[in-house]
Amino acid sequence: MRALLLALLCLAAARVSGEPAPLADGQAIRGQFQQLRQMQGFTNPVRSEGHFLLVPGRGLIWTTDRPFLVTTVLTPEGLVQNAGGNGSFKIGAANLPMLTRLYAMMSAALAGNWRALETDFAITHDSAGKHERFRLTPLRADPSGGMLPRQITITVGRFVEKVDIERSGGDSDHLSFSNQTLGDAALQRSEVEDFSSAEP
Amino acid sequence: MTLPFSRPWPAALWLLLVVAALLHVGFAMARGLPLQSDIMALLPREDRDAAVQQAKDTISVTLSHHVLFLLGHTDPAQARAAADRLEQALTGAGMMSAATDIPSATAIQQIGRRYFPERGGLLADADRRRLLDGRGSDLASRALSQIFGFAGFADGRMLAADPFQLLPAFLAGLPLPTNKLHLDNGRLTATGNGLTWVLVSGQLTGEATSLAFQKRFTGMVDAVGNSFPRGVRLLRLSALFYAQAGADRAITVSSTLALISLAGTALLLLAAFRSVIPLALGLLSIAVGFVVALSLSLLVFGELHVAAQLFGVSLIGIAADYALLYFAQLFSGQPNPQKRLAKVFTGITLGMLTTVVGYLSLALSPFPGLHQVALFSAVGLFAAYLTVLLWLPRLDRLRPIALGRRAVRWAEMLGAFWLAPVMRRWRWASVVLACLIGLAGYRQIHIDDDVRHQQTLDPQLSAEQSDIQRLIGFAPTGQFFLVSAVDDEQALRDEEILGVRLADLVVTGALSFWNAPARFIPSLERQFANRRLIDEQLIAPHFAALRKTLGMAAVAPLPEPSGTLTLPAVMAEGGFPILNVMVLQPGRHLVLLEGITDMAAVRHAADGIPGVRFVDPTLDISALLAAYRVRALWLLAVSVLLMAPLVAWRYGWRGIPLVLGPPALAVIMAPACLGLAGIPFTFFSAIGLVLSLSIGVDYAVFCAEDERLNPVTLTGITLAMSTAILSFGLLAASDIEGIQTFGAAMLVSVPLSYAMAPLAGRAQKRQSF
Repeated sequence: MRALLLALLCLAAARVSGEPAPLADGQAIRGQFQQLRQMQGFTNPVRSEGHFLLVPGRGLIWTTDRPFLVTTVLTPEGLVQNAGGNGSFKIGAANLPMLTRLYAMMSAALAGNWRALETDFAITHDSAGKHERFRLTPLRADPSGGMLPRQITITVGRFVEKVDIERSGGDSDHLSFSNQTLGDAALQRSEVEDFSSAEP
Repeated sequence: MTLPFSRPWPAALWLLLVVAALLHVGFAMARGLPLQSDIMALLPREDRDAAVQQAKDTISVTLSHHVLFLLGHTDPAQARAAADRLEQALTGAGMMSAATDIPSATAIQQIGRRYFPERGGLLADADRRRLLDGRGSDLASRALSQIFGFAGFADGRMLAADPFQLLPAFLAGLPLPTNKLHLDNGRLTATGNGLTWVLVSGQLTGEATSLAFQKRFTGMVDAVGNSFPRGVRLLRLSALFYAQAGADRAITVSSTLALISLAGTALLLLAAFRSVIPLALGLLSIAVGFVVALSLSLLVFGELHVAAQLFGVSLIGIAADYALLYFAQLFSGQPNPQKRLAKVFTGITLGMLTTVVGYLSLALSPFPGLHQVALFSAVGLFAAYLTVLLWLPRLDRLRPIALGRRAVRWAEMLGAFWLAPVMRRWRWASVVLACLIGLAGYRQIHIDDDVRHQQTLDPQLSAEQSDIQRLIGFAPTGQFFLVSAVDDEQALRDEEILGVRLADLVVTGALSFWNAPARFIPSLERQFANRRLIDEQLIAPHFAALRKTLGMAAVAPLPEPSGTLTLPAVMAEGGFPILNVMVLQPGRHLVLLEGITDMAAVRHAADGIPGVRFVDPTLDISALLAAYRVRALWLLAVSVLLMAPLVAWRYGWRGIPLVLGPPALAVIMAPACLGLAGIPFTFFSAIGLVLSLSIGVDYAVFCAEDERLNPVTLTGITLAMSTAILSFGLLAASDIEGIQTFGAAMLVSVPLSYAMAPLAGRAQKRQSF
């Protein structure tokens, strides 16, 4: 589901780089996020914050810094998650078809291709001052059994600024992004290793 | 002497029979000759252990019916379109049913619903190992990262039901093959070589070994492939393509060899007799032999293997001998055809009998394909013999011709070498030379029983297979473990023990992947053990802290396993088609293996687990080839024993070494010569020697029938040897090792037999027909 969010991040990046041009080769987006999750059966919302790196063609490194360190690396081949150095968990894309479906949507979005999203969502759009708001509603019943959200609202300024996700079970996620930069994709050694770790 | 069957009615009766055979073959061809190309059909069925045979058949059928394509293009949409077209064409024509071992998202959901109530007893292998190692904290951290990390699929309800997210981990860890594939627009897709590759996977609906089906299938694939836009690449993987390429190659080789053999024989006969009549009548006897043999083989076996057809080429050379020896009597000056026939009657009859004995001894081998060759050759020879006897003197209007001076000189030299007292010293020198060659050669003999060497795989298809293995990681092997237990529960327990060892082998790289029913459904014993392990290593030490960190409300405890998540129950859901392959019957399972790099380590993985055994069909067939190579050599001795009474009846006991000695020596010397030439000795070499013995005995018998070694007789034998070399020698040019070594053995031993045959001229005739 977060991969969908990623797709939208990319979409926004495509907008700022002069639509409908996609992110150029060798470009990357870096930024910070704050997340608030409200889940059924939990007395308090779960809060977290951290930073991310998105490289077209390679994937995403999503690092939660607080309340504790969790690094997630997502590539077309699969997903690796490492929680505070307590061993990593790896899921191959074949074992989680939805993951790659969502990753494919991200790729489509990177190409500035709204149509890829339109096959799964009805998209409405309105403007409010400097911001634009997109509302995505699934066209069909969720084939993944709850992984797709009921509705997503994205607020976009220069980059994506806010994402609100309503899920079918009554849970909701609220993400806000800050300090986003579009730069070249010169990766640090640890980032290269992170991407390599997700290869099968 | 006049022969009893020189009257017209036997010839007329034979004509009736031949016409009947011709009609039968004609009708069979009109319907399409039932030809077989499966190389395995040539090999014996192992009937010692029914369970092993059943397992091998299952693997063989599964592998031979599986067909897989990758369609590549720089544009994923083009690759998908090409995949759609190919799949629609093949399924639309009813030649393939689309099938994949990777369950659909819907199937995963169904299975998830079946597994969900049993989640208390399900642990992914890696999770179980962590808990056994006392590392429950890893799983607690993972549960937190599911909520705080990216792609956290867990929602509040899921966390309440399964706080440590053990069920998703179990489902994500299911051993689904080809883990380099992902779903893209509903199609399994891989990337590599700068292209997007889309998978088309299915099961053949026709018989993979039927030549007709192979042609239709490959024809359709080629037609669709040719209509693709530029830039689309097609990779193929199926036993069918290999079989079709092999059959194509065998038929091409067979046709080419037959053509060259016929052309060579024709030229030889024209040069020798300066008339086309011997050639035409010789061909007639061969054609009759071929048609009668084909008809009877189809009546007896219902079909004919292309390899039997290939060996049938050899028949051409041998059947020509009878006509040749008959026509060689033209050089004797005898004007009456019936009298010319009478002169060679005993020789060709004895020769035919000993050769048929040699050919029929092939039927003693356990190879079904060789039974066809035995019957085909023996019947063909007998029919050609009858044609020479009954028809040739009636059709032959030739006048006697003089033997050329060079032929006379050559025949005299050859005869003198073995019979003239002045050549005694040279004869002994040749014996010493033969012994030296034998000593040197036998030390150089390289025995090769590896069945994989006996056939040549098409290099283009092999390259495509390597590409497919690299792109999607699919590397099926014929080796497997067979688990035999009293029931499914015990079989699953055995697989769990084996699984620990195989998982270690995957870590060391001895194996890339393994699959067993127990990886989908743990034994009930394991489910209950997992439940205890989760309680002790996860719930008790870590659940309270997790709840506090997340602020979770009270949750119900994990359910106990109900004891109903069993193999038949999951198979009834139908979500995992691979289970139908791996479960042969209750308690009898297969453990499939991929990418073996250390065969010895894998082979020993089942040591000490009762009821689990490693099966390597390729190795088993190679071992059988080795056993039957030895058996074929015994067959040689048996052939000599079977021929000995016939020879003794005609030439007395002293005649046995003189008549059977030269061909026997030739087949003893031949392996030494092959060793020196660096040609491996195979089962097929041994079979070649069995046939060579029969042919060599023919030559010796003709020499024995003519004590004075008339140049006419020796010229006839020289022509016979030349035609035999034209057909057998050509087989040595084949690039299929089995056929090549067969041909090479004949190429060496037949001339040796021929060179020594005049020694039989010393034998004294005692009985006459």
